[in-house]
Amino acid sequence: MESVDEDARLMLRYRDGDTDAFSALYARHKGPLYRYLLRQVRNAGSAADLFQDVWSRLVANRGRYQARAKFATYLFHIAHNCTMDFFRRDLRLPRAARTDDVYAQAPEPEVPEYQRPDVLAEFAEQQSALLAAVSALPHEQREAFLLHEETGLTIEEIARVTDVGIETAKSRLRYAIRKLKTSLASAQFPAVMPLRTRRHLKAAQFNAST
Amino acid sequence: MHPPDELDEYLRGDSALSCQYRREAAPVPPPALDRRVLELSRAAHELPAASGARAAPARSPYLAPLAFAASVLLSVALVLAIAFGPQTAKRVDDAPRVVRVAYSSSDPRTVRAPKAWLADIAALRRAGRNREADEELRRFRSTYPGLSISDPAIRP
Repeated sequence: MESVDEDARLMLRYRDGDTDAFSALYARHKGPLYRYLLRQVRNAGSAADLFQDVWSRLVANRGRYQARAKFATYLFHIAHNCTMDFFRRDLRLPRAARTDDVYAQAPEPEVPEYQRPDVLAEFAEQQSALLAAVSALPHEQREAFLLHEETGLTIEEIARVTDVGIETAKSRLRYAIRKLKTSLASAQFPAVMPLRTRRHLKAAQFNAST
Repeated sequence: MHPPDELDEYLRGDSALSCQYRREAAPVPPPALDRRVLELSRAAHELPAASGARAAPARSPYLAPLAFAASVLLSVALVLAIAFGPQTAKRVDDAPRVVRVAYSSSDPRTVRAPKAWLADIAALRRAGRNREADEELRRFRSTYPGLSISDPAIRP
């Protein structure tokens, strides 16, 4: 992919002092990164904080950057680490909730007050059925799906970004797809019908976790 | 268990799910956030090179051994200072003064200088050896009857 080399070249130029190169790089990746964070943490304020944190870390570590892999892999690995820090710090994920490879054992994590189900329902009311179903996925599966959709990363690259084996990444993505399809089919929604009520969100969450 | 082509079909990018996802609204960061990040990227390059991130790989490989050697040197210096420092010297310095008093008092033929003699008497008083100090003071007065003693640390 030609944009891979182009991104890496831009990053190398920025590392060597060309701030215009950073602007170009930022313009290319700001949308996917923002949506990845927003749909991972499901809170606009936290997503904005994490977004700034990711770019700050990229800037701070620019001297160590080497174009050994796709730039998106490098950027989203930082984003993954920031998100994990966020979950550890604020969500206090129970260990069991993070092992999503068993389809039947994927409960939603315990969440702080600002991400209670009613708050999430309010967030989901502004979403389509598909985004509500994405929001209801366990976060590892959601992450795999978002990484592929937003950045076009392959299974191997998703595995590298999320620090897991290829089979685990593949399994997460497979479960995500199946749950999303099941959610949409069982709710019998038209493809882009908005989800307006809290009851619909609960149905999507129930389908995703069973 | 899983249909073999489900994931492959999805990964090809032409699945209904992907198409539907791409039709969704695509939020972008607010302009204020854009400005903050771009300012951050520029500010980082305005810092002096030595404090920038490029300085990190240039760290000398000799830094760690040098730091270790400096620590060892400091430790040795500290031990030497404790063993042969000023406190030990003072103790050595104090002892002959008392011995000197004893020696001089045991030899009646020795006539000592008044200033040094009075200093020894004062040292005896400071050490709480008042009986010896009184005895020395009596001898001093008999040797130098005309000399008045104004120092309160010497008088009984």
